[in-house]
Amino acid sequence: MAGINEVKYIIGESTRMLKRGKLSGLISIIIMGFSLLVLLIFLLITLNVSMVIDRGMEEIYVYVYLQDGLDKEPVEIIRNRLLDIEGVKGVVFVSKEEALKKFRDQLGESAEILDELSSNPLPDALRVQMKPELTKSSFMKKIAQTAMEWKGVEDARYGKKWVERGEKLIKGFYMTGLALGLIVFLSVIFVISNTVRLSILSRQKSVEIMKLVGATNSYIQVPFIIEGGVQGIISSGLAMLLLWIVFSFAQRYLPGIVFFQIEGVVGFIVLCALLGAAGSFIAVRKFLKR
Amino acid sequence: MPKQNRIIAGVYHLSKKLGKDFALRDINIQLANGEFVFLVGPSGAGKSTLLKMMYMDDLPDSGQVIMGSYVSTRMKRSTIPELRRKTGIIFQDFRLLEGRTVFENVALAMKVAGTGMAEIKREMTDILTRVGLYHKRYQFPGSLSGGEQQRVAIARALANKPVILLADEPTGNLDPEVTREILELLFRINSSGTAVLMATHDVDLVKSFGQRIIYLRDGRIVKDREMLFRGNLRDTLSDSHVDYRARKFTDNAIGEDNGKNE
Repeated sequence: MAGINEVKYIIGESTRMLKRGKLSGLISIIIMGFSLLVLLIFLLITLNVSMVIDRGMEEIYVYVYLQDGLDKEPVEIIRNRLLDIEGVKGVVFVSKEEALKKFRDQLGESAEILDELSSNPLPDALRVQMKPELTKSSFMKKIAQTAMEWKGVEDARYGKKWVERGEKLIKGFYMTGLALGLIVFLSVIFVISNTVRLSILSRQKSVEIMKLVGATNSYIQVPFIIEGGVQGIISSGLAMLLLWIVFSFAQRYLPGIVFFQIEGVVGFIVLCALLGAAGSFIAVRKFLKR
Repeated sequence: MPKQNRIIAGVYHLSKKLGKDFALRDINIQLANGEFVFLVGPSGAGKSTLLKMMYMDDLPDSGQVIMGSYVSTRMKRSTIPELRRKTGIIFQDFRLLEGRTVFENVALAMKVAGTGMAEIKREMTDILTRVGLYHKRYQFPGSLSGGEQQRVAIARALANKPVILLADEPTGNLDPEVTREILELLFRINSSGTAVLMATHDVDLVKSFGQRIIYLRDGRIVKDREMLFRGNLRDTLSDSHVDYRARKFTDNAIGEDNGKNE
């Protein structure tokens, strides 16, 4: 169907369109670029916050405190029983000495008061880490209650208040994120589809002339689709570049923040290319049908 | 060579409503190969609508249009571009692409028909010479006069060697001098075998030529005067062409017309 002449024609028409619509093309690319930048900033913030949350979740443990003077063997039994519980990722033995040292570190300068102690008042403990998807208060409560019944276990605790408050916070964050994300996404789609529509309207005359001389719909459409795709690539590339600049500045003040991985960057640009092409396709098709 | 009297285009019992009113009502026309026909009527008579039906920019409400092998009631929409490539169309407002040179405007019609650049270049010399614009091939429409722009449009219409040229008020934007030049060009094109159907509101302009004239008023054909020398079309055409040049533009000496519109 598509011979060499058609291919040449399509390449010629597409480059012509991109070259000729310099100013209006530039303007739409800038508008789209900035719209996408807003979306990207939003996504990057979401990514960073959720990473902080994930990291925080990893440091949430259930502590199973052991009775004083317990032998190695019963400790090992308790440890294995904990490991047998579905959803438990790991169990680490924390000796009373370690616990005291950590406590000392946490106290910092005021650690002197510990010197007053004649013996170590802290118990040995087993630190239980859950799988991330099960790091929630209901599950931790279950572990703590179960372990408390066992022989050799003095007590089992987790930071109930903290975990519950954290859970609320995360839920709130994701809900607002979702709502905001939807609004941003819809506005971006709106701005971009309008930009595409306007740029096609401005070429209504040439589309009509093309039809007049016997161009098939696909002949008319293909250059528009390619143009849309290229605009998608350029504007999303621009948005990524701007985001990187914003990110570099932000990093000075928030050293821990991360950027998208390369797969994410490429994926986003490819997605925008497809969206640009699809947007142009839909806009021109509507226009050709009349 | 196709036979002289073969019907190449026909409109049969065609009616078309635009809004509530009939724009065209029960129109019947047949065009023979190589014929030159004027379609005359005041503005709003339905000339443009009829031409639109013929290049199938719009479809009739009832009746049928046949253009070569394309039948309006029996064709897919997707074959319309094919029909357009075999039909030359020109307008009052030229409809050229401003951002493209004369050469590119004409080449576009050939490109969309799948013609390669080498062949386009080969053909272009001939086409642009015929319309007298070879020396201006790299200029843009904006730098050309109205008459020259219409010549570009004509060149584009001829690019794919159509059997029929539809002209919708092609001299409407042009002064009398240029109008005459464009008409001369259309006659010349016709004498090399392309049928021409030219719509115009200007009765005085066309009735001196001795061509077939179809009068359209309020969407109906009020008169369709067939050519007198139908049998020897080519001779008649070249005769009229000579006549026309000899008699000058304003001279209405020829007695074939009834003078109804005087």
